[in-house]
Amino acid sequence: MSIRIGFYICHCGINIAGKVRVTEVADFAGKLRHVAVARDYRFMCSDPGQAMIEKDIHDYGLNRVVVASCSPRLHEKTFQSACRRAGLNPYLFQMASVREQVSWVTPDADEATGKAKSLAAAAINRVVFHHGLETREVPVHPDVLVVGAGIAGMQAALDIAAADHRVYLVEKSSTIGGHMLQFDKTFPTLDCAACIGTPKMVDVVQHPNIKLLSYSEVTELSGYIGNYRAKIRRLPRYVKEGICTGCGECAAVCPVILPSEWDEGLGSRKAIYRAFPQAVPITFCIDKNDRAPCVGACPAHANVQGYIQLIKQKKYKEAVQLIMERIPLPGVLGRVCPHPCELECRRSEVDSAVAIRDLKRFAADQVDFETLDIPPIAENDKKIAIIGSGPAGLTVAYDLRQKGYGVHILEARPELGGMLRYGIPDYRLPQAVLDAEIGYILRMGVTARCNVRFGLDITLKDLEQEGYGAVFMGIGAQECLKIGIPGEAETSGVLDAIRFLREANTKSETTPDLNGKKVAVIGGGNVAMDAARVARRLGASRVTLVYRRTEQEMPAYADEIHEAREENIAFQFLTLPVRVIQAPDGHVCGLECVETRPGEPDADGRRRPEIIPGSEMIIDCDWIIPAIGQSVDSSWNDAACPLECSPKNTIIANPKTLQTSIPHVFAGGDAVSGPATVVDAVAAGHRAAEAMDLFLQGLSLDSLQTEIPYSGQRWKEIPVGCTPKARAQLSCREPAGRGACFAEISSGFSEDAAHAETERCLNCGGCCECMECVRACAAKAIDHTMSEASLEVAVGTVILATGFDLMDPTPLSRFGYGAYPNVFTSLEFERISNATGPTGGKILMRDAAGEFSKPPESVAILHCIGSRDVNCHEYCSRVCCMAALKYTHLIKEKVGHHTRVYDFYIDMRCFGEGYEEFYRRCQEEGTQFIRGKVAEITDRAIGPAETGKLIAIAEDTLLGKCIRVPVDMVVLCSAIEARKDALSVGRIFGVNLGADGFFLEEHPKLGPLNTATEGVFIAGACQSPKDIPDTVAQASGAAAKALSLASRGRVTVQSIISWIDPDICAGCQLCIPLCPYSAIEFDDRRKISVVNEAICKGCGSCAGACPSGAAQVRHFRKEHVFAEFEGMMDAICNPGGRK
Amino acid sequence: MEAFEPAIVAFVCNWCTYTAADLAGTSRLSYPKSVRLIRVMCTGMVDPQYVLKALLEGADAVLVSGCHPGDCHYINGNFKARRRIKLLKEILPRFGFEPERLRLTWIGASDGIQFAEIMQKMVAQIQAIGPSKAGRMAA
Repeated sequence: MSIRIGFYICHCGINIAGKVRVTEVADFAGKLRHVAVARDYRFMCSDPGQAMIEKDIHDYGLNRVVVASCSPRLHEKTFQSACRRAGLNPYLFQMASVREQVSWVTPDADEATGKAKSLAAAAINRVVFHHGLETREVPVHPDVLVVGAGIAGMQAALDIAAADHRVYLVEKSSTIGGHMLQFDKTFPTLDCAACIGTPKMVDVVQHPNIKLLSYSEVTELSGYIGNYRAKIRRLPRYVKEGICTGCGECAAVCPVILPSEWDEGLGSRKAIYRAFPQAVPITFCIDKNDRAPCVGACPAHANVQGYIQLIKQKKYKEAVQLIMERIPLPGVLGRVCPHPCELECRRSEVDSAVAIRDLKRFAADQVDFETLDIPPIAENDKKIAIIGSGPAGLTVAYDLRQKGYGVHILEARPELGGMLRYGIPDYRLPQAVLDAEIGYILRMGVTARCNVRFGLDITLKDLEQEGYGAVFMGIGAQECLKIGIPGEAETSGVLDAIRFLREANTKSETTPDLNGKKVAVIGGGNVAMDAARVARRLGASRVTLVYRRTEQEMPAYADEIHEAREENIAFQFLTLPVRVIQAPDGHVCGLECVETRPGEPDADGRRRPEIIPGSEMIIDCDWIIPAIGQSVDSSWNDAACPLECSPKNTIIANPKTLQTSIPHVFAGGDAVSGPATVVDAVAAGHRAAEAMDLFLQGLSLDSLQTEIPYSGQRWKEIPVGCTPKARAQLSCREPAGRGACFAEISSGFSEDAAHAETERCLNCGGCCECMECVRACAAKAIDHTMSEASLEVAVGTVILATGFDLMDPTPLSRFGYGAYPNVFTSLEFERISNATGPTGGKILMRDAAGEFSKPPESVAILHCIGSRDVNCHEYCSRVCCMAALKYTHLIKEKVGHHTRVYDFYIDMRCFGEGYEEFYRRCQEEGTQFIRGKVAEITDRAIGPAETGKLIAIAEDTLLGKCIRVPVDMVVLCSAIEARKDALSVGRIFGVNLGADGFFLEEHPKLGPLNTATEGVFIAGACQSPKDIPDTVAQASGAAAKALSLASRGRVTVQSIISWIDPDICAGCQLCIPLCPYSAIEFDDRRKISVVNEAICKGCGSCAGACPSGAAQVRHFRKEHVFAEFEGMMDAICNPGGRK
Repeated sequence: MEAFEPAIVAFVCNWCTYTAADLAGTSRLSYPKSVRLIRVMCTGMVDPQYVLKALLEGADAVLVSGCHPGDCHYINGNFKARRRIKLLKEILPRFGFEPERLRLTWIGASDGIQFAEIMQKMVAQIQAIGPSKAGRMAA
């Protein structure tokens, strides 16, 4: 059948015909090959225009149609329908855009006509190769997904639900309602936003067809119109919906106070919270971030933030119990812990770290361990033995006893405590503190036998025979390393630091009498500090600390060094002992040393001391106390069942499970790690206890989770207004009084100091997991272990109603927001005016202390902050004029008519129903309207009338002069802008953003609810700034769009999809990995690739890559594109046209 | 001497650059008539043959333009185009064409102003290079 083309060019009034000589184009086209009829007409899209095409198809037997008019995005479907009505397959139609691409963009008429001809020729040449395509229909899933449950989302969901379709309503906050529910009143009718909003919220949650998914986000959308699948991430609320009764007891006891987002940060809320009393769902929600950095930094992972918050609430017993979940010796660690937690404390970004260790001590000091409750213990019949009662052994005893095991401690020395008792001097850790805490552990039912030396009095075999299922070796590192210099071993008066401290601590008779003696302590660690300071307390007249490197390299803690200096300990740095000098009586009379200088760095990066030749000198001394390190005493090691040890004598244990070479023997603490801190020993004790528990139950140790993942970064932001506050300091006794006294050097915090210190905690983790809420919840609705869940739903269509963000005016520093406490944004003003807001609905201003205290006498309201501003947003935010009018009214009504209100506007835009009337009413109420944008808000007064006020400096453009208006309060009508995550959300749903950042509609006038993705609609302020009536109307419109698809149940989809010619395909499979939808499969039998038409979307990735040309997109085949191009080029080369 | 009137063919994707061209039209932003658009569904379907054919048949330059990275209506078609255009530019000199005669841009649906600006600049650039010496028109 020969090809007969009908060509039509539209005048579009004068839109096209004003530039393009349409009759000339029609004449030109009429002369082209295959063209049977060529016409021009005023409005091709009008009914007569379409009728003309239909008639010509019949009269001239046309089998192809080309229309040159506007963009095919506007009217392609119109003309395709006309063809279909006349019996012509709609794909035998082609359109040339001679308006958007020619007449509107080409100023010269000759040029425009020429270009129109070339585009017409291109379309005509292309349409020759068109084939009729079958229309494809797919079923539409009846359910609808609505994203965002502000007023738009709620309205759309209710409309759809009312038509008996199921709606999944996804809201990212903990409550539905959106911005509208934050407002006080709504203009112009002054309806209370809550009064008209909360019934909708209740309708939503009660409607059987609406499945509300609050605190959830859509993470992925796949599929196509009518057949979408959405993946939804449900964030954990940590409170069970349906069980929570909303009573609020949990919030009453929660110690963590955080700024309330709902109140725009003007008020506060607890970590367990509900946005506002009428929130829907009523279920509370716990705000958890990653665990605070202090918790992660603590080797024992003590819940630092938790106990600090409990101390703040004066719940000392609970605080100590929380500490004791991870640290069985709170008073001890509260004194001697090197507090690695404080190094990570984020308060140091503001001023300095919170005094965590001292607060722990404070809490422990408030509690009587003799009466502290023992947790209920479920006994079992297994028993374990612990060798050594240092911090590691005591932790194992404490943990396993709580799990119900019979625990027996064996201790070589006369009393329990290990190094805590025998190594740490009393002035740092009083024995009474240790006794009380060990007493508590014994009270739990742990038994102990002292003066039993392992290996000598009892062996591993004995323990096994006595029925101990597992043994923990926490024997510590009790030996002092030798210096290895001549005279060290044989001279009396050389006493290693460990023994020296032990004897001093136990006030043993063999303690050397140092009264009036000169003592040299060798070493630079904490033990050396202890030895030196104890020597001073025992009456030594001079104590010299000899260290071979410089002070910077000393391993001792800085405060120890500082306190030692205060006690007149002499430091001799860069000095290396080489010989002990013996007096004739065999006692020490001096220490020969040489001077050193820092040399090359060694393995640990510290510079190795080099001896300076000829620098020998003698330190005059009566006693020498070496403190250069400790080692493990392994003399107990039983030949019958020897434990594997390292060359340094430490016990070798699996670092995860702390199991030794003998399966039922576990080991930890200094005995395994070498000398380390108390808190490291406690951490090791926990690890061993966990492993031993599994071992005793006969379970595999592989399942042991050694490290709780605390590696967090997602912490609460440090509040902007966080002002530096000095860290509380422990009061230390005067150095003069310390000299000969072993009483504790520092007294703990006073209660006031402790509370002030707890206030400095930034609550990095949000919820502190103190579990107070769990205890308070009668309904048992709280579950701190809840985790994120995901859910997949099938829907036919999607409505996006994600709303807007209010622009943060801080960067516009001239308006003083953030600098002056009484400059507020519009949303903040709404909260101040709202009955559920921070002021209970009273319009108050902040006083010097930042509290809302007294009403303003004058207020300036500034329009267009960030809107209609080429430096911010060029668009008008549309609602601010009316909102500002509402504020003027509310101030006059609530504060009183005497209040002076100044409204600075550029233009008043009161366009809606009842808006202009409301404007008039506000004018009559006495608000002073000033036409002019405020240039600056300042507090720099130039006269007594301005003193203490904020001054709005503006030009009154009606008077033509500059004015200064002193006011008490300023309200900035900040711009409405697109959501910060609009780009990423848009990408999930295939919706583009406009230049203003809002979601882009398909057409600004004719498709304001549609998007580039079919079946995805937009409603409300996510499309552009809108007031409530427009938002609700658009939501109902979007609901209607979704319903029209859902109720018909079928939809026509693009026939433009890929096809692989089986006769050409060589089976190279190049296309298969390229397909973004995995729509191409390889047919193994025929050895060719095949397109699954149900999945293909027609992007043509395959066609672009196919080497043989077998893969082609229907309607966009190579011959179509080539023909279009050739037609175009022919017209350029032969402007006169040819047949 | 009067600047020559280059013939520039632009293969533009339906979702972004074609829409931007519509927006440029609606906003009455004029640009030289020598740019002519051929609509494709996605830049990912632009076969290298399209470009070569256009240049050989007389176009002085070819523009391929699609959605911004990450915005592709078909997930990642624009990235495929980017790879192809990169390779194509390398082999163009063997056909006697300067690589500057082929250009790839991202012009989003709301970038009407950018569309008109890029068209103006591109025409000026091609005018500076001069007419294609290897295409049909030169023969």
